[in-house]
Amino acid sequence: MDFFSSSGVFYALIAVFLAGAIGALFLRRKDSAANIWGNSLAATGSLAGLLFAGASLLHGSATAFSLGTSFPLLTLTFRLDRLSAFFMLTVCFVALICSVYAIGYVRHYYGKYSVGVLGFFYNIFIASMILVMTVHNALFFLIVWEVMSLASYFLVIYESRQSANIRAGSFYLIMTHTGTAFIIVSFLLMYKVTGSFDFETIAAGLAGASALMKNAIFLTALIGFGVKAGIIPLHTWLPGAHPAAPSHVSALMSGVMIKTGIYMLMRISLDILTGSYWWGIALLAIGAASSLLGVLYALSEHDLKRLLAYHSIENIGIILLGLGSAVVFSSAGMDTLAVLALAAALFHTLNHATFKALLFLGAGSVIAATHTRNIEKYGGLIRYMPLTALFFLIGAMAISALPPLNGFFSEWLTFQAMFQGVTAFGLTTRIVFILAIGSLAFTGGLAAACFVKAFGITFLARPRSEAIAAAREPSVLSRLAMAGMSAAIIGLGLFSGVVMRLLEGVAGSLGSLRGAAPPGSAQFQSVSIENGFARISMPVVFAGIAVAFIGVMAAVYSFTRKRKTITGPTWDCGTRLTPRMEITATGFSRSIITVMRGVLRPSSETEIEYHDANRYFPKFGTVTMGLRDIYQPFIYRPLRELTAMIARHVRKVQGGNVNAYILYIFLTLIGLLILLDVGS
Amino acid sequence: MGFDITVFTAAVLLHFTNKNISAIRLYMVQSAAIGLLLLASTLDRFTPLLLIAAIATITVKVLVAPYFFYGLTKRHDLKFSVSTYLNPPVTLAAIAGLLVLTQIDFFTPLVSLGTSEEKLLRLAFATILVSLLLSINRRGALSQVLGILSLENGIVSFALFAGLEQSPGFQLGITFNILIWVIIATVFASMIFRKFGSLDVTSMKKLRD
Repeated sequence: MDFFSSSGVFYALIAVFLAGAIGALFLRRKDSAANIWGNSLAATGSLAGLLFAGASLLHGSATAFSLGTSFPLLTLTFRLDRLSAFFMLTVCFVALICSVYAIGYVRHYYGKYSVGVLGFFYNIFIASMILVMTVHNALFFLIVWEVMSLASYFLVIYESRQSANIRAGSFYLIMTHTGTAFIIVSFLLMYKVTGSFDFETIAAGLAGASALMKNAIFLTALIGFGVKAGIIPLHTWLPGAHPAAPSHVSALMSGVMIKTGIYMLMRISLDILTGSYWWGIALLAIGAASSLLGVLYALSEHDLKRLLAYHSIENIGIILLGLGSAVVFSSAGMDTLAVLALAAALFHTLNHATFKALLFLGAGSVIAATHTRNIEKYGGLIRYMPLTALFFLIGAMAISALPPLNGFFSEWLTFQAMFQGVTAFGLTTRIVFILAIGSLAFTGGLAAACFVKAFGITFLARPRSEAIAAAREPSVLSRLAMAGMSAAIIGLGLFSGVVMRLLEGVAGSLGSLRGAAPPGSAQFQSVSIENGFARISMPVVFAGIAVAFIGVMAAVYSFTRKRKTITGPTWDCGTRLTPRMEITATGFSRSIITVMRGVLRPSSETEIEYHDANRYFPKFGTVTMGLRDIYQPFIYRPLRELTAMIARHVRKVQGGNVNAYILYIFLTLIGLLILLDVGS
Repeated sequence: MGFDITVFTAAVLLHFTNKNISAIRLYMVQSAAIGLLLLASTLDRFTPLLLIAAIATITVKVLVAPYFFYGLTKRHDLKFSVSTYLNPPVTLAAIAGLLVLTQIDFFTPLVSLGTSEEKLLRLAFATILVSLLLSINRRGALSQVLGILSLENGIVSFALFAGLEQSPGFQLGITFNILIWVIIATVFASMIFRKFGSLDVTSMKKLRD
């Protein structure tokens, strides 16, 4: 066990990713070689990372190691405590599955785009995410954060001949750098108080900082990391960027990259700083808004990958509900409840990573087979891709929080944590928790409706385009990867008691919650919350559903076994049945969107063509529904105009004279020296 | 002490040369002084990387870079570079002002990096400022490039006197920095000449917008 958690293994796995990246680039002229090399090494590195993080997690105590540099403020310090080990484990597990899937999936890029370049950025992307979770120095963190952002940007614009991808990538780049600017401010504020960029020194030094300074650090970190996490209203880059990337990369971006923001929010609000009450309330409010609006936007989507991307916003909202509850409990000194809420957030982080990755991989297989992302053009795919349909159904059930899968358990746990908030606090906080519970309940129902639409319109009924008939299952490796992820989803549901116990340990290891025991007990056979408030046994739920399923099947069989099956045409009122008679995705979601029109502000356009001039006999009608973007006109456009106005004034200094530019540098240098002197 | 005075004096004299060839020679002398300073430091406390940095400095800055610059002036027949914004007396006054500025308390936090070599640090800092002034004052691209390279020599001498010469970051920095600088400078000057038919950067106003 000690061998796997040693620094040598860590350096070796980073070296494997680098070898994968550089090797793929060298082999770029031979697509198949670049594919096998890049993805095999990514899978190997991920497997090594999985063992390393797993060993560290079970080891319990934090391991630290460092590489010295000659730059005084920049030490390459790595520290793997339980929180970072948990997140690294999640990254490596999803990356392992995605890399195996990619070996088959990437083939459809042969001869179209450079597979070597894809392999290069893919390996760098995974390595940088691992480093983000493990570095322990703010400057070094910023470097690997930037590497992660740039690598993901190049993956977003990988299919560069599509102008929409370039636009999505550019917007992502601007947003992510705006976020980074806030993160830099946050780290500089920490440095101002503590005089160090080392996270451990910062945590120790910030204890005595003023409330104003702590609030400023939290707020800038919330905006900075919130952009990456995709919280509303900073989410606008996400629905464009995630779908633009190749599907195995989308799975990584949606499944784990956005969790780097969550990781740092947890680290800052509960480990480096001690959470204050209003931070928790703010996180709860953002979580409620993100979960509810995320799922509502998803409902109106016809692009399968955009729909999944919006669900990422929803699930980040659910995670924030858990984190916000933990911060509120922690600020009130209720550490045991904080551990429960944080464990719920961590569990949902892991679960979302698994089912969202599976859904993106399933969507990738569908898109590769049909060459369209528009779900209105699917239909009947279950006949041509039965295994993909099964895996997608498992992912859809898990994200809809249906028992006995993992999504159900983590949402149940989040509910329990918030129920504790209702019973533990006074009226004002109680109202906040009740509203948050309401939003989560609403979100769960809408998510189920959305995935009935996504699965039903995609896989059931009749094909709505000719491309469907040519659709085939993806390669064996891709199917194997999806099967592995499906097994993980079922396993995490069945063994949720065991995982929960592990996650309570992770939650209880953070700074302000250190040593706190969770309320109740978590075992394989059941998980119970304090004083018998709630209790669930996932094995019993599993067994109950299995027995019910077998019972129903047996009953159906016993009643119908003597009947003769006659296949014949359906009675169709005298008309010919066509795919146009099926319910469409727009039709399915129209009623819900209409109910929520006050929030969503939908735009609807109806077009009817008639057989006759008197317009008595309609030939066909088309309803086009869309959502008005409320973020652009009210937030982003004013900000853009303000920036443009400032830029117009600032450009006056751009005289085209090199001498003048050097003079600016000279004056800045003198000014900084004077400031330095005044400061000292 | 002799070498650092050479570095500073070369930076000052660069302001008063009318010929590009003379400017290149002054840069050679300045770079040779830096190279010898690095060699002296290597003899004092030997590290392989510092020796490589010293050899690289002498090879690239004293031999290769001047060779390129000579080629450039010969190819494009650029003998003179006298176009400045400030006339010689005002330039001299500005240099004197900068020298005085480095002697006052503003720079105490910086020179405290190496208290035993305070005077040398101030002189090295004066070299940095005087070199920057050269790039600001001269219109010719070659003079500007030489100003920036002289600034870089000033930074190296500052780091040396601050006692940072044993740092691998510094040594690697020197090794890569000089190579990259010379490549960029040569390409930059050639491109300007090809585009504008002159190395007078005021022609570059055409690039605006």
